[in-house]
Amino acid sequence: MAYTITEKCNGCGACARLCPAGAISGEKKKLHTIDAKLCIECGACGRVCPQSALLDAAGGLCAMTKRSEWPKPDVLLKACIACAICVDACPVGCLAMSDVPRDKGVDAFPYLKDSKACIGCGFCSKACPADALVMKKPSPVQKPAAAA
Amino acid sequence: MNKPYMGKILMVDLSNRTMTEEEIPDRVYEQYLSGMGLGAYILYNRMPAGADPLGPDNILGFCSGFLTGTGSLFSGRWTLVGKSPLTGCWGDANCGGTFSPAIKHCGYDAIFFKGISSGPVYLYVKNGKASLKDAADLWGRDAVETEEALKKQYGPKAAVAVIGPAGEKVSLISGVCSDKGRIAARSGLGAVMGVKKLKAVVLDGVQRIGAHDPAEMKRLSRHCLKWVNFPLPLPGWMLGFVGAFLRVTPIVFPQDGILYTSILRKWGTGGMNQTSIEMGDSPLKNWDGSNRDFPMSRSRTINPDIVRRMEIVKYHCYSCPVGCGGICAAKGKYPHTHKPEYESVLALGGLCMNEDLDSIFYLNELLNRAGMDTISAGATAAFAVECYEKGILTKEDTGGLELKWGNTEAMVALIRKMVDREGIGDLLADGTKIAAQKIGKGSEAFTVHAGGQEPAMHDGRCDPGFNVHYSLEPTPGRHTLGAHLYYEMFQLWKLVKGIPKPAPLFTKNSKFRIDGEKAQMAAVCSKFMSLANGAGMCMFGLFIGAKRVPTFGWLNAATGWRLTPEDYMTVGERIQTLKQAFNVKHGIEPRNNFISGRALGHPPQKRGANQGRSVDIEKLAPGYWEQFGWDTATGKPKEETLRKLGIQ
Repeated sequence: MAYTITEKCNGCGACARLCPAGAISGEKKKLHTIDAKLCIECGACGRVCPQSALLDAAGGLCAMTKRSEWPKPDVLLKACIACAICVDACPVGCLAMSDVPRDKGVDAFPYLKDSKACIGCGFCSKACPADALVMKKPSPVQKPAAAA
Repeated sequence: MNKPYMGKILMVDLSNRTMTEEEIPDRVYEQYLSGMGLGAYILYNRMPAGADPLGPDNILGFCSGFLTGTGSLFSGRWTLVGKSPLTGCWGDANCGGTFSPAIKHCGYDAIFFKGISSGPVYLYVKNGKASLKDAADLWGRDAVETEEALKKQYGPKAAVAVIGPAGEKVSLISGVCSDKGRIAARSGLGAVMGVKKLKAVVLDGVQRIGAHDPAEMKRLSRHCLKWVNFPLPLPGWMLGFVGAFLRVTPIVFPQDGILYTSILRKWGTGGMNQTSIEMGDSPLKNWDGSNRDFPMSRSRTINPDIVRRMEIVKYHCYSCPVGCGGICAAKGKYPHTHKPEYESVLALGGLCMNEDLDSIFYLNELLNRAGMDTISAGATAAFAVECYEKGILTKEDTGGLELKWGNTEAMVALIRKMVDREGIGDLLADGTKIAAQKIGKGSEAFTVHAGGQEPAMHDGRCDPGFNVHYSLEPTPGRHTLGAHLYYEMFQLWKLVKGIPKPAPLFTKNSKFRIDGEKAQMAAVCSKFMSLANGAGMCMFGLFIGAKRVPTFGWLNAATGWRLTPEDYMTVGERIQTLKQAFNVKHGIEPRNNFISGRALGHPPQKRGANQGRSVDIEKLAPGYWEQFGWDTATGKPKEETLRKLGIQ
């Protein structure tokens, strides 16, 4: 099964630009399509589509959410076993293993290296055998006071 | 999505630059899994008999593990397969890192190459599209530089397997590198890649890997994790004394691999450096010396605590909770290097009578970058030193190098020459067997090889199981397929019916008694490791014990099959027999692969840990072959055996 695009699509291309599998194609301002063979069901297209033109693998309508509200992985270092499964599971490569050790010991740990690239798919959290990654909505960042 | 395999392979013909995707029937996976099993299936069926290993007919395969990416642990190993130019036999080498899942993320279980390219190329796979790209500007660069250049171009998520200058120069002891210093080194398959003019394979896919029952996979993994973090209250300085104790005690007990896992977790494979030397497990002075020649006063420089001081951060392969690797800071030209493995330290250290740790760090990185096997390179250097000491090689031959035992500078210069194929290095860059053929003058007596491949740093005079596997495996000279010690640690008797359980205490000498039980134990190891190499499992994980690391359970949960451990052992047996059938198809006489007399203890050593011990491989072989239904006189699989296992 894969995600599908409905007639509501206005061809803005936001989903195609974001798709980590290169599964979405279509001309500008025309109906886009998803190659079911390539779709990995990460749901990024559904979260970004301003037209609500995406149906998920089960046929449910996807709702657009603000990118700043997309959940991001939070690593629980105490539980982490440093197996790097999460780093491999990430389709956009935004996680990386540290090249410095943790506070105690010499194990490396995964961290969100490129938080802007994260698409909030949660594959890392699902794949973790130690339940050491949880997807959390980022807490609202307080805007710094405007410079005088 | 709910199968652990992708069901497809990519076949690349480098001669006419065509790429063909092929679907593999489910039946093949049920019979052979993927990894080494799928590799053996394709190579056995597609490679014409008598193919030149360095010709266009040889097929080189990069095969991912069957369990890789399914939520199992210790399952991140990929296997490189091909006909070995070093031995002429079935060749395989496996490696951890991040390359195994990358093959599956591209939608394939394996990628095979045949033919020879007219110029240097590399394969790039992205989003289901594969293309061959020109590699003229990468040719000649070392493995780490090439990987960095390719990752700069394609992003850090791309996984890269690459040959270094040694593979390009068709050194028969070269391998294929990935992750900036991990290397699938054995069997000389880097030379096959070099001769095909294939510089690298770059994989950048995101396809997901499934499992039939992800919840059960996770449950089994959580169960397994309980056994990984087992603290070992043993300081590093005591490890040499542990080895000395094991040397002198006449009675031993079956070893529990959980202790070994603790050592791996704390120090890496190097944790055994001093212990192995003291107990007689490490060959020294080109297999002619003993622990007396390299006492603790000399080996203290390679004590694991000293190696560990250089470690900056641990390095885990994909899906491994142990993390035996490490990234180290080193002196000299290369500031960062992978922590030298036990095999590298002993091959470049004890075997050459070299106790200089800085030189070992340097040579390890040099060889990793060049893509040359540290085991074979160290063994060949040790052979050259002995030839020099015995007057067979002169200062003129060596280009002015004084190759004496313990002359570190000369040894480093010699290995540099081997990497560059310069002067005497050109003669030595294809391993000891070919070097001895070229040198002549009786130098053959100082070579230690099985079928042309230098055995690893585990002495079969200490554990006779190693000699059985070095000599009788379809891939001669490999140490990762079985031993008496491995049998104890796998603890397979807890799950597989009808196999012997070792006594709670036994004498060390009883290991040398030749009986049916030993043959059965060796065959069980071979079957289990063939299965494990098909599944992509790491041997160090399996050492924890079959019940604690649930390989069979993971296989059933990942596939939905309901096979018993005995059924899975038959899969291993089928893979092993297919490899042997491959050798027979290519005209190999299994008897010619017996390891050199020196390693068998002919004549026995006069002093040290293995004093007076010898192994009669002629007597051991028929029992091992019989276990598989192979002819007891020739080692060739019988017709009825092939039929029974469904091998056509």
